[in-house]
Amino acid sequence: MTAPLTLLWTAPLLGGFLTLLLAGDRAPRLPRRLALLIATALFLYTAAIPLAAGSFNLTELGLDLAWGIRYSLALDGLSYALVLLTAFLTMISLLGSWKEGHSAGFWASFLFLESALMGVFLARDLFLFYIFWEASLIPMFFIIGLWGSANRRHAAVKFFLYTFGGSLFLLLGALLLVNERHAATGLWSWDMSRLRLDGGGPLSVFIFISMAIGFAVKIPVFPFHTWLPDAHTEAPAAGSVMLAGVMLKMGLYGFLRILYPVFPGVGAQLLPWLGGLAAFNAIYGAFGAMVQTDLKRLIAYSSVAHLGFCLMGIASLTPEGIAGGSLQMINHGLTTGALFLMVGFIYERSHKRGLSDFGALARTAPALGFFFGLACLASVGVPGMNGFVGEFMSLAGMMRALPIAAMAALLGVGLAPAYLLPAFGKVFWNDPGPDSCASKVTDLDGRERAILWALSGLMLVIGLYPSPWLDFFRAAASQLSL
Amino acid sequence: MIPIDKIQRLFAAMGPQAAFAIGLALIVLAGFGRGRSRFSKALGVLTLLAGVVLVLPRARPAPAAGALLAPDGFSIAWQILFYVGALPFAILGAAGTEAPVLLYLGSALGMGIIALSRDLLMLFIGLELMSIPAYLLVMGLGRRERAASEAALKYFFCGGAASALFLLGIALYYARMKTLAFAPGVAPADPIVGASLALMGTAALFKIGAVPLHFWLPDVYEASSPELAGFFSTALKAAAVLLLMRVVSIAPASALAKALPWAGALTMFVGAVLALGQTSLQRLLSYSSIAHAGNIILGVGAWAAMGASPAAAYAVYFYLAAYLFMNNGAFSFLAVSGLKTREDLKGFAKASPVLAGLFAVFMLALGGAPPTAGFLAKLLIFWEALKAGLYAPLAVALLSALIALVYYLALVRDAYFEEGSAAPVQGSWVGRAVLWACAAPSAALGLFPIVLGPIQRLLGL
Repeated sequence: MTAPLTLLWTAPLLGGFLTLLLAGDRAPRLPRRLALLIATALFLYTAAIPLAAGSFNLTELGLDLAWGIRYSLALDGLSYALVLLTAFLTMISLLGSWKEGHSAGFWASFLFLESALMGVFLARDLFLFYIFWEASLIPMFFIIGLWGSANRRHAAVKFFLYTFGGSLFLLLGALLLVNERHAATGLWSWDMSRLRLDGGGPLSVFIFISMAIGFAVKIPVFPFHTWLPDAHTEAPAAGSVMLAGVMLKMGLYGFLRILYPVFPGVGAQLLPWLGGLAAFNAIYGAFGAMVQTDLKRLIAYSSVAHLGFCLMGIASLTPEGIAGGSLQMINHGLTTGALFLMVGFIYERSHKRGLSDFGALARTAPALGFFFGLACLASVGVPGMNGFVGEFMSLAGMMRALPIAAMAALLGVGLAPAYLLPAFGKVFWNDPGPDSCASKVTDLDGRERAILWALSGLMLVIGLYPSPWLDFFRAAASQLSL
Repeated sequence: MIPIDKIQRLFAAMGPQAAFAIGLALIVLAGFGRGRSRFSKALGVLTLLAGVVLVLPRARPAPAAGALLAPDGFSIAWQILFYVGALPFAILGAAGTEAPVLLYLGSALGMGIIALSRDLLMLFIGLELMSIPAYLLVMGLGRRERAASEAALKYFFCGGAASALFLLGIALYYARMKTLAFAPGVAPADPIVGASLALMGTAALFKIGAVPLHFWLPDVYEASSPELAGFFSTALKAAAVLLLMRVVSIAPASALAKALPWAGALTMFVGAVLALGQTSLQRLLSYSSIAHAGNIILGVGAWAAMGASPAAAYAVYFYLAAYLFMNNGAFSFLAVSGLKTREDLKGFAKASPVLAGLFAVFMLALGGAPPTAGFLAKLLIFWEALKAGLYAPLAVALLSALIALVYYLALVRDAYFEEGSAAPVQGSWVGRAVLWACAAPSAALGLFPIVLGPIQRLLGL
């Protein structure tokens, strides 16, 4: 089926420019209204695509450019799930920062970011993928640097340089891969479906590792993770939502879309390494989170742990692992997105986010306490919530592929309540300390409740009835599993 | 009787040069005087535009055998770079008297002769005709300080040394080949030819500003006005790169050709590292232009290593074209905004959001962030280096690209994220038009490599 997919990335791009153009003192609210309108329309359009077309396997007529580069976009279950997540979280982020009196640039940046992220998940050409992949850095750089908290300048530059540095490895790998294909076939092509190196020779392993480093920085996999706590902590709440919710998934998507299909042999060869790294990530992130005193930093480290579970499922190369790991990407986007938004709500009211700055918030802000607790439970992976499904399936997959890694990661599962629940208790239940600013934190208003109901509703729905959501990843799971 | 057919032939082969001669003559005839500077400025811009139009590819009579000057695809493609690259300086700078106009037109004439030469002596004449006005431009147009005279003198002596090396190379070539004519691949790879090419290539690398022959460059660029530095770093550098390519092509397997990738790697690394600590914007951009030259030299090295591959020639050309827009843009930004140091940049985005946006485009493009022109330029060079099997220089290039991004991002950070007392800058409409004209290709050339299709054909792709 063909469908107009170009619209998915051009609409937010043009919308971003329009938002910038309409900025002015005469209508200060116009930019944010326009941005939200565009984001909402795009979300509805994205949601309507499979309903109208009857399937989410869609391609668009491509266009050959120079040097074997082909402008080709397509959707399948995996892409579609992430495109939908991007559209949804962009809308939520904009709505979540509705009351922050930012300039037009803020609202436009989110649309530019959405455009680049859509492109990443739509592109079926490695060159195109790389352009979108890198282009996503620019709006996020400005979002962190301009609208972040105290240490934002440092965090923005660190974020850009780290991920750009990682991307150079990705670029090197891509160029080597394209050259290698040219040597074998005599054709220049960046088309993902035509790039396939079957043998597991040293060159394949080298290219795989080089590209994997690029993806690992984004995920982030230890030891390439050090940009994450800074970037996530300093970004404005909506920026953290997009960073954790969508941008981290780009790395895992790269594994699923490029690395495993292109190097079917090498993935299995390196399974112990990736499985081990994933398990280490899960444990390391948990320990890292445990010692944090800043609520946002704690959630940032919990992302490292969660992404470890995602990678574990995917790297296990079993159908249940791949489906579970992929579903966990979506889960993490929803859960961590909700947590970052709520920290943002608290910060907006009190300009604090330290664990010891608050106490007994459940008394002053019961609705906030309810949603925060719910999101914590989902993040911990309590059965009945979405996190459980993803984590369980990921672990089950790895248990079949590499039991040692799975058992080590079980430690990470056990540690999750140990860092999230005490933090929750401290902020929401414990008596406030002498210099607590809990009294400043008023309860959620209607807009905030609506956002959190949407996110929490999805967490529960996925947790209680995961099967239709897993359908998105069924094709990828069966193609990529060993 | 007027020999119409001869004039026609002259214009067909050397249209821009004929136009420059006429433009120069008109400006001189109009006389020296203060009131006439606007006239000469406009005439200079028109002459450059005429040069671009006249050089555009079209049917030409085949050059006579043994011609000293004859157009080919490279000469046409490169002349477009020279004349377009000179435009920002012609429009923004070159004020006061007609002297600067005469000088840059003379310099551009020399670049054209470099492009057209089929003979080493003509190549040398082109080199001198290009360089001597450049020395005078630094002296006459710089801020009237001792630094300008000192830089001009340094430039003059270094340039003189380069010329001497080039002449020595010509002499050796003549001793071995008994002719001054050259063409791709004519010379055998023997030690004397190798030494001759090495001498001539060194002279070209001097002009490009390759490490360790770069020491004159930051002083000269900093002592010049920003738009003049833009002219030097784009048009003049493109001519020097073509000079290098012409010399290398005589024997693509020479020691010179083999050394180029490493020269490029060294140049880009040292340039990038030295740019890191700079606080003067113009000096920072000078070092950054050394780093960019390194990428270009690596591209030329890959081009030579693959036996003058058209794809690699296109990569070098694309880099020069992208660099022309983004670097002229960056220097023109300094000219329009009047900013001098990184401290001046702080808070600039709040004061002048539109100019700051253009500045950010130039910085991200120079830093090689997709989807800008600078990204595609770097990518093509890296790709060609990979095809040529130059793995170690490529690794250095990737590292240098990351280092270079550090200082470009630092400038964006200064302009956008730091608080400061930068005053709002309006800039003349001409200045803003030049900035937009540079920013649009800097941002979009990376997305539409296809628009340069005709150039690909010129270079033999």
